[in-house]
Amino acid sequence: MQPELENKFLSDFEANQNIVHKVCRIYTTNQDAHNDLFQEIAIQLWKNYSKFRGDAKFSTWMYRVALNTAISLYRKSTRTVRTQDISDIAFKIESKEYDDTEELQLKALYVAIRTLNDIDKALIFLYLEDKPYKEIAETLGISEVNARVKMNRAKDKLRKILNP
Amino acid sequence: MDLSQYKQAWKNQPEETYKVSAAEIYKMTQKRSTSFVKWIFIIGILEFVILNSLYLFVDMDEANKQYEEAGIKGFVFYMELFAYAVAIYFLIRFYLNYKNISSGESTKKLMSDILKTRKTVKHYVLFNLFLMFIVICVVGTTVMKQQSTKIPEDKVVILMIVTVVIGLIVLTLVWLFYQLLYGILLRKLNRNYKELTKLDKLN
Repeated sequence: MQPELENKFLSDFEANQNIVHKVCRIYTTNQDAHNDLFQEIAIQLWKNYSKFRGDAKFSTWMYRVALNTAISLYRKSTRTVRTQDISDIAFKIESKEYDDTEELQLKALYVAIRTLNDIDKALIFLYLEDKPYKEIAETLGISEVNARVKMNRAKDKLRKILNP
Repeated sequence: MDLSQYKQAWKNQPEETYKVSAAEIYKMTQKRSTSFVKWIFIIGILEFVILNSLYLFVDMDEANKQYEEAGIKGFVFYMELFAYAVAIYFLIRFYLNYKNISSGESTKKLMSDILKTRKTVKHYVLFNLFLMFIVICVVGTTVMKQQSTKIPEDKVVILMIVTVVIGLIVLTLVWLFYQLLYGILLRKLNRNYKELTKLDKLN
């Protein structure tokens, strides 16, 4: 790869890395696994960068490769945790000046999402990231109608877990 | 509580405190992938190698002598030739399918491409078992016919049937065992693929 392309890739990745961190937090339950998945996503992004055409946004393509890696390529099975395991939540966030209620909500949300299956995790993640249905359907390779139906079911599942 | 409140909390979540630097990202990209697809490729290649080296465990000189005596040396030779041609065909297809796998595709396409690659090997194994069955039947019955002077004629037919049935049972067991391994290897992928395509038929 040409050096300027390489640099562009690295700076784009660095700027958008939060997307990858969020995917890792959803699909793994400890820091080691998080780092492991992060590395594999980096490898996959790099390997595919030459095929990435500028007609899509870098971040859009990043969502796709990151989710694909977590769902289909990551070698370790993404074990689901029970809702009670709230204490071993493994994400490091700065909590200063951060609303307590929201922090609790966020933690509960992560715990709830982790109990979903791999596909529902992806759907909910894309919903939380405010992605339009067209993009969700394209990312997953299903029809828009199908994406809507699936999303409603995934949301129902999530609601039940959050408000039993 | 409504999901939109959680969504707000999600949006307001602080960024990861540990930022990975561009230099670290570069280092990561130079590491070897541990992806599932790589294992699919390695295991697939192993299966081709194992199936094609089975004859190493057989004393071929001895076997050839027996085939010659039974008058089926030509049959065995052409069968082998055919088997190699088919192996090459499957290997090429396996490699092309593997090359086609890209994590930049949609999730559904990626999963179906991985499953397709695996299926090539599965079909190859199935083909080999079928070929083994034919060889067992032909060699078994010819040898028995040859020996028929020593064995009473009414028993020859029974022995032939027994040979075929035993061959069939052994190969079915091998196939079931293989299917089990195949199922374990692809369990997660199959489950996710089923989950993703569940509603496709309805729409």
